[in-house]
Parts: sequence; C-alpha cells; structure tokens
Amino acid sequence: MNDKYITVSQLTRYIKYKIDTDVNLNEVFLKGEISNFKAHSRGHYYFTLKDEESRINAIMFSSSTKKIKFIPTDGMKVLVTGKISVFEATGAYQIYINDMLEDGIGNLYIAYEQLKKKLEQEGLFSHEHKKPIPKIPNRIGVITAPTGAAIKDIISTIKRRWPLSEIILFPALVQGEEAALDIVKQIKLSEEYSLDTLIVGRGGGSIEDLWPFNEEIVARAVYECSIPVISAVGHEIDFTICDFVADLRAPTPTGAAEMAVPQMSDVITYLNQLQIRSNKAIQNKIAILNQKLLQITNRYIFTNPITIYQSKEISFDNLIERLKYGAINLLHIKEKHFTNIKNSYILKSPYQLIDKKANKYLQTISKLETLSPLLTLKRGYIIARKDNKTLTSVKSIRKGDKLDLQFSDGNIKTEVI
Amino acid sequence: MAEKKELSFEENLEKLETIVKKLESGEIPLDDAINEFNEAMKLAKKCDEKLKKAEETITKLVNKDGELIDFKIEE
Repeated sequence: MNDKYITVSQLTRYIKYKIDTDVNLNEVFLKGEISNFKAHSRGHYYFTLKDEESRINAIMFSSSTKKIKFIPTDGMKVLVTGKISVFEATGAYQIYINDMLEDGIGNLYIAYEQLKKKLEQEGLFSHEHKKPIPKIPNRIGVITAPTGAAIKDIISTIKRRWPLSEIILFPALVQGEEAALDIVKQIKLSEEYSLDTLIVGRGGGSIEDLWPFNEEIVARAVYECSIPVISAVGHEIDFTICDFVADLRAPTPTGAAEMAVPQMSDVITYLNQLQIRSNKAIQNKIAILNQKLLQITNRYIFTNPITIYQSKEISFDNLIERLKYGAINLLHIKEKHFTNIKNSYILKSPYQLIDKKANKYLQTISKLETLSPLLTLKRGYIIARKDNKTLTSVKSIRKGDKLDLQFSDGNIKTEVI
Repeated sequence: MAEKKELSFEENLEKLETIVKKLESGEIPLDDAINEFNEAMKLAKKCDEKLKKAEETITKLVNKDGELIDFKIEE
C-alpha cells in the first residue's frame, strides 16, 4: 500500500529532472523588473524578477556578476539570460542568470555581438594584422574631443613621460549620431600628417556614449589606417569593437599615452647603458688585440731577428751551390757527348769504309765465280762443242765429227774415232 | 607636415644599438671598431643633446582647413 507513495525529495528530484532536461528552459531570455535585490558578500546576487502578474526567484553567481557593468537596483528593468532549475531544499524553481543587461540597451548589445562576430570572421582582429607601436614616436596623433578629461590626460601623460614627442590633435565628436562619421573622417585625414602613432578614443561613459566606437565604419577605418593605432575608449571594463580592431588596446586614455611613449628616465638609463657597453666592447677589443700582439712579439723570430737573415743566407748558399753543380754537370755531359762523337769509328778511320766496300766487291765477284762454268772446268770438266754448239748428249755425236774441247786453260780440236 | 631632415631620436637610438651589438660581437677589425666606436659616441651625444633640449611638448590642433594651430588645454 505504502508503495504508491513517494517522498517529497523524490518528487522534487523528478520535477528538477523534468525541468533540467527541457531544452526550452535551458536557455531562457527573460525580461522583468528587479525587486528584493540582495548582493551577497561573496559576490552573488539574489533577487526577484517580476512583471504585473508574475514573479520568479533569480540567482546570479559571482562568476557572472563580475561581467556586468552596472549595479542592479530594485525597480530596474533588465534583460537576462539564464536557465531554469529547481532548488531542492525549498522546492522552488528559479532562474540561474549568466548575463544581465539594462533593458533598452539590449538592441545595442545584440548589434555589438553581431558586428563583433562578423568582423572577427573577416579576420579584422587577427594578430598578423597588428602593426607594432613605435617605441619612441616623433609625432603622435590623437583623435578625440578637444575638451574633456581624455585629451587632458593624454597630453599631461605624454608631457610628463616623454616631452620630445609632438602631439597633433584631430578634434572629433565622440558621442552622438554624427560621431562615427567624424571619427572616420579624422582617421583618414590623420594619414597626411606623418604620424608615428595614432591614439583614437574618449573618456568613460554609458554604453550609448561609447557607441560610435562600436560602429562598423569606425572599425573599418581603424583597420585600414596605415598608422599604428592605439584604441583608448572609456574605462578598463569597456571593450569596444574599435579596441579589437586597433593595433593595441589601452584601458584608458592615460593608459594609451603611457603605451605610446617611453619614460624619459628609462631612456636615459638605457642610453647610458649603451655607452657603457660600447666602452666595454672597445676596451675588450683592444685588450684582446694587445694580448695577440704580445704573443706574436714574444715569438723566437722577433726576439732573435738574426735568425731571419741566417735562414735566408743558408738557402741562398744552397742555391749557389746547386747552380754551380748544375753548370759543371751540364758541361760534363756535353763534353762526353762530344768525345763520343769524336771517338766514333768512322771519323777515326775513314778508309775502313772504303775497305768495307772493296771487300763487299770481292765477295760479290767470288760469288759470281762460283756460278761461272769456268770454275767447273778447273775441276777437270770440259765443254765439248760441235759447230759452236755445246754438246750435252752422245747421241748428237758421230764418228769423224770434229769437236772443240774447251779446258779451263785453253781449247783443243779433236776428232771422234 | 614634418620634413625629416635629420634622423629622429628613435632612429639615432636604433643606430646606436646596432653599433653596440656589432662592437660587442668583437668580429670587426680594430680600425673599423674604432670608427664605429666614435660613431657610437657621436650618436649617444646627439641623443643626449636632444633629451637635454626637450622642452614643453608641442601640442597642435588640426583645424577645419587642415591647418596646424597651437593648442592649449583649458585648465
């Protein structure tokens, strides 16, 4: 029986679960009037949001309250963003707020977010477009109102820190309808004045007052400006589109002046350091060279300079010696060659050449003799002829033929019997 | 409009920095080092003089015709 009944906490948890999982209740844009406002010492806000017919408890934790730029008070009309949930201890549903704006400026806020997103996507905020701010500028341009705290702060700060810089003021409207166009016009004009740095800004004010610095035309003019731009709009907590586009964001106009110029005393110190460093460097250089010189002059050759001369003398002698031997050698070679020629066989006995020829002649003759028939005759052979014809066969000889017989040393006539 | 005849304070300071770094590297011949050193001293003197001569910051305003006129802040 008891099983049908659930506990209060079970119910509360179930309701909390239902609410927490409802997407519509996870992000609620709510407008209403503040009442029963309490700021807890730890930074949380507790209050009630109401209209003519209803009310809802609201809580805003310190992590979120830090971001808002106004102090909420009872009766204030606000626009809040948050989620609905249940506080189990009291069983009350309430809104947990993460952002709150004063009603009436809500539209501006949306416009701001949209433009910021658009320009960011276009890359106007990206770091590679940021120009470095000159450390020591000659001429600083300032675009702001010619009266008011901003220009006063900028001039006095620059004067105090670095009076060498020249300040050129380009007076501009900094709030109201025409301000944005005026600022753009002055940014463009400033390009013609050989400025090293340009400060664009104004003092603090309401979000509407600062609005011109959230206008797209101002953002684009700052982006396109060839001079490094320091943006200085309002107070530390105010972030404008102009701040995101500028090359450097300063929290305040005074801050911008501090970023634009160095402190005179720092520069003097640095200058002195540079002088000390160059003195040290040149002294070092001289010391090192001195050391080197000392090392060189201490070498043997300088302490005994005669050794230079001596070694030269020795090599000179060597050369002479070599020259002498060289000449004699050459003479010897030529002489020997000449002697060889002189002693040659031919020159010594030219007759031998003739003898040689004669000898050869005799040899030839002798050879001829060997071949001659006469020689054969000498060995006892004879040549028989009949009618002046040499006989080589008995068949051509008949009885009674008269033959001529030739001996080696004469001829006889004979008759065949 | 500014006509930059002479080098600005920053340009002089930059030149001085470059020379000091070069001297500190110890890689230049002595004659050059001495020349550079003299140049460094000249630059330092120039910067020093500029600092000493620094008077009241010149403040001008660009009027509607684009002319530079003296500007004094009302105290």
